[in-house]
Amino acid sequence: MTPPIPILRLADIHKSYAGQPVLKGVSLEIERGDIKVIIGPSGSGKSTLLHCINFLVSFEKGRVWLWGKEIDPANKPELYAYRQKVGMIFQDFNLFDHLTAIDNIQIGLVRVKKIAKRAARERALAELARVGLSEHAHKYPAELSGGQKQRVSIARALAMDPEVMLLDEPTSALDPELIGEVHAVIRDLAAGGMTMALVTHEIGFASALANEILFMENGVILEQGPPATILSQAKLDRTREFCAKIAHLHTGGRKPV
Amino acid sequence: MDLSFYTQEVAPAMMRGLWVSIGLILPSAVFGLALGFLAGTLRVYGRPVWKRAAEIYGLVFRGFPLLVQLYIWYFGLPQLGIYLSPYAAAVMGFSLCSGAYHAEYVRGALRSIKQGQLQAARSLGFSRTRAVVSILLPQAIRRALPGCGNELIYLIKYSSLAYMVTCIELTGEAKILASMFFKYLEVFFVVGAIYLALVSLASWGLNRLEKLVSIPGFEYVRR
Repeated sequence: MTPPIPILRLADIHKSYAGQPVLKGVSLEIERGDIKVIIGPSGSGKSTLLHCINFLVSFEKGRVWLWGKEIDPANKPELYAYRQKVGMIFQDFNLFDHLTAIDNIQIGLVRVKKIAKRAARERALAELARVGLSEHAHKYPAELSGGQKQRVSIARALAMDPEVMLLDEPTSALDPELIGEVHAVIRDLAAGGMTMALVTHEIGFASALANEILFMENGVILEQGPPATILSQAKLDRTREFCAKIAHLHTGGRKPV
Repeated sequence: MDLSFYTQEVAPAMMRGLWVSIGLILPSAVFGLALGFLAGTLRVYGRPVWKRAAEIYGLVFRGFPLLVQLYIWYFGLPQLGIYLSPYAAAVMGFSLCSGAYHAEYVRGALRSIKQGQLQAARSLGFSRTRAVVSILLPQAIRRALPGCGNELIYLIKYSSLAYMVTCIELTGEAKILASMFFKYLEVFFVVGAIYLALVSLASWGLNRLEKLVSIPGFEYVRR
């Protein structure tokens, strides 16, 4: 039996900013339905890795495949089509400030997917309903809470029918009491079978969802494995040390149960 | 006091001049804004060669005095075999100069918008150009409006330079009338008041426009 073709495959991604290497050869395969959670200290390259997957930053070396087909970022129409397949959620939401919640979702459908306005509006409403924000459709970003903004941005990405979602610390800019509503939406996505790569420090949330946790440091994936293994019986001292620290942070010093 | 000078001489001349002035200001405002948005956008998001070209445009047209520019278009170009009417030379001069100033406001406005929005648009499959046009520019227009409005008010007043290239507008009519009757004080006071009225009308309109396109939480808080 041949192994299944991964949705996404990255090979040997190298990226540096001003001569300073940030990614030093990262390879990764994401299969359909996978939820890969990437953890690691600040500056380890987690966020840069997600941006490289989407070619939002250019990188010196490395290759990316979607369903076994290599993506050539120089081929613009192909790149734009690829980006629709790979939804991206940002730490600070990046909603379009001059558009209402519904228009934030609609604009991509109309301008990129070339869907007729009325159909696009219906789709946008459906996506808003999916993240529980129907009654806020006509509010501008400045009138929404952080959690609501992040849910709109998730709806906006979902409207493009992505096959994979990349989430870059989706809750780290949020007030603690708003994190739950965003987690609930992500949990719904997972339950619906969405393939995801998620960068987060919310270790409890991550371990409940992930089928694999990847620990990154200094631009490489140091260790990867199922949540139970990485969190409690990691091979490397460094992984254990990091996991203990963030677990401590989230349990307030009590032993995780 | 004899009012017949005002009704017989001043009013018809001012009306003639006013229409010429409006005829100069409106197209110059439209072309100037178009040029300004183009140049300002290229300075921020253009390819290097376009960026450079827009920079040089801004430098030259803000560097040469407007009157010198008008003289070049009207008196200088004929040496190259290009003959512009006084009106065409004035509109061209005003548009090019005004556009160079608008470009600065547009550039600042574009720079003030968070880069994350461009990234988000690209992550949805927008090309860079499409993202700039449909996501960033609508926001930049709102942010540039106060500055561009100010430039439009300048334009109203520097339209008074058109008579220097023999396009007889308000100020030109006033000068002819005043020297004919030797009533400089009266005539220029009237003409000044007309400019003041035009500027007031424009400020009122621009204010209305700012309110009309304002978005909750996007601009500064207005109370």
